[in-house]
Amino acid sequence: MNDFLTYNFLKVTVGVICTIGLYTVLYRESKFYRFFEHLFLGLAVGFAIVALWTETMKDLWWDKMVGTQPDVQGGLGTPGYWAYVLLIPIGIMGYFVFSKKHNWMSRIPIGIILGLWAGQQPKAWWTRYSPQMQSTLRPIFPTTNTLFHPSTAQFNPSIPADKLAIDRIDHQVYWSQAITNLIFVFTVVAVLCYFLFSFDFKSKIMKFMTTSGRWLLMIGFGAIFGSTVMMRFTLLIDRMYFVWIEWLKHLVLHIPG
Amino acid sequence: MADVPAKSLGEKLQSINRSTLFLILILCTSVPLFFPVKLPNRADAPSMDLYQKLMTLPEGSTVLVQSDWTNSTRGESGGQFNALMRILMRRHIKACIYTAADPQAPEVARNAIAELNKQQDAAHLPEYKEWDDWVHLGFFPSAEGTSVSIGTDVRKAFAGKKATQPNGTQADVFESPVLKNIHAVRDFPLMILITASNTSNVAIERLYGKVPLAMMVTGVMGPETQVYYDSHQLVGLSKGLKGVYDIENMMQDGAKIAGQTFPPFTGPGVINKDLGTRYYPTLHMALLLLIVAVVVGNVGMFLSRKRSTQ
Repeated sequence: MNDFLTYNFLKVTVGVICTIGLYTVLYRESKFYRFFEHLFLGLAVGFAIVALWTETMKDLWWDKMVGTQPDVQGGLGTPGYWAYVLLIPIGIMGYFVFSKKHNWMSRIPIGIILGLWAGQQPKAWWTRYSPQMQSTLRPIFPTTNTLFHPSTAQFNPSIPADKLAIDRIDHQVYWSQAITNLIFVFTVVAVLCYFLFSFDFKSKIMKFMTTSGRWLLMIGFGAIFGSTVMMRFTLLIDRMYFVWIEWLKHLVLHIPG
Repeated sequence: MADVPAKSLGEKLQSINRSTLFLILILCTSVPLFFPVKLPNRADAPSMDLYQKLMTLPEGSTVLVQSDWTNSTRGESGGQFNALMRILMRRHIKACIYTAADPQAPEVARNAIAELNKQQDAAHLPEYKEWDDWVHLGFFPSAEGTSVSIGTDVRKAFAGKKATQPNGTQADVFESPVLKNIHAVRDFPLMILITASNTSNVAIERLYGKVPLAMMVTGVMGPETQVYYDSHQLVGLSKGLKGVYDIENMMQDGAKIAGQTFPPFTGPGVINKDLGTRYYPTLHMALLLLIVAVVVGNVGMFLSRKRSTQ
């Protein structure tokens, strides 16, 4: 009996009830589901407010502003920097977005944030996409008659002669790699052709390229959709594991494993 | 009263009750959990590269871990985080953990490490200790600003952050063994991002070129993150449940990657297989159901069309 009154048992049991409560929407939306939905939202918001203080604002703002006392072990305290108090009015100005009369004030902090963000973007864009553009330039002609990349398992990379041999093998373009690269380069060109809306294509080659681009995009979207479905299934499996294994098998029935 | 024409087989196949489908789905995602089976597996190249990088990190070094997942993606991110922490603790590598996506994430990460330490205790293995082996710096709002700040001056980015010492008192994180030798972001031999959100793009944009980057992402993010691996912006990548299964299998069976042999993690009480191994067979059942449902729906549609043309 005592096993069923432990904090862990009660915690997991409440979790199971909430999980089932939220899944009742699969049958139909009801007050039962609404209750758990609001419970979840309230908990998430409440937790976020507390966590914002304990995980972020206390260390990064409050302690820096008021300073810290030396602890009993003889550690040093830190002086307070009262300039941090100026962040309060700037932050509060953001909330004037709800006032019709004074909403101009909200544009000041929003403008600062936008300016900082916009300033980062050119470098951010280049850092993100330039290696991808460089990686698009791939060799489509093989440099050897071998079909596949040979295994390098027999070499030890810490021995210089072996390292040289591995490098020689790695730097060849094998037929399988050349074919893969050709498909890749064709896909890039075909999809770029598909997005050239400004021209009226009359040549058969361009029509073929745009049609191929559309098909290849569809294949790509299909792969992305497949990944999405797999992820959603995994999240459901995790909830089922929580209900059937963590709660029922381990906590209620006490079956190990 | 006019007779209602009976539904044809095609119409019946296309109008299966939604609740029935949900019930079958719940059965398919529940029953296999009670019957664990080992599926044959060949690790993906991005998973192998990630594993190789983790297994060749210098002992005693500190990796930067951006843990941006919460319980909503425990099915994938939880397995990734557990596998990563197990490798780090067994290889005596320290972890500086922080969050830039969700204020709930720090507590979720701390709970996950506490669970791993319970397993270590039960097996009489050394714990992964806060302060000595890992610190969590909390939640940093604005992933963009935080990443720029880390890339520019990591000491200023994490200034003022405290962690709990073994004696229970709080002290500056840069006094801890985890961060005392870190002066710039390049001092980390690796930064690993475990995420279910857009922070992956932010990290690439702001930190690529400053520190070697690896990612553990959810399945839905796999295709968009793969491009960073293909363009060598990432040194390793784990995608969704398959990525977790790959890493757990390499931990259990060992791996031979690019001429290097990595023996399995063995010993009494050592746990290598966790959420990935538990969920992967069940995922196959769910995917089988999906394929069957698509086939049934299409057969129903063709039968209905055939009937209407007749």
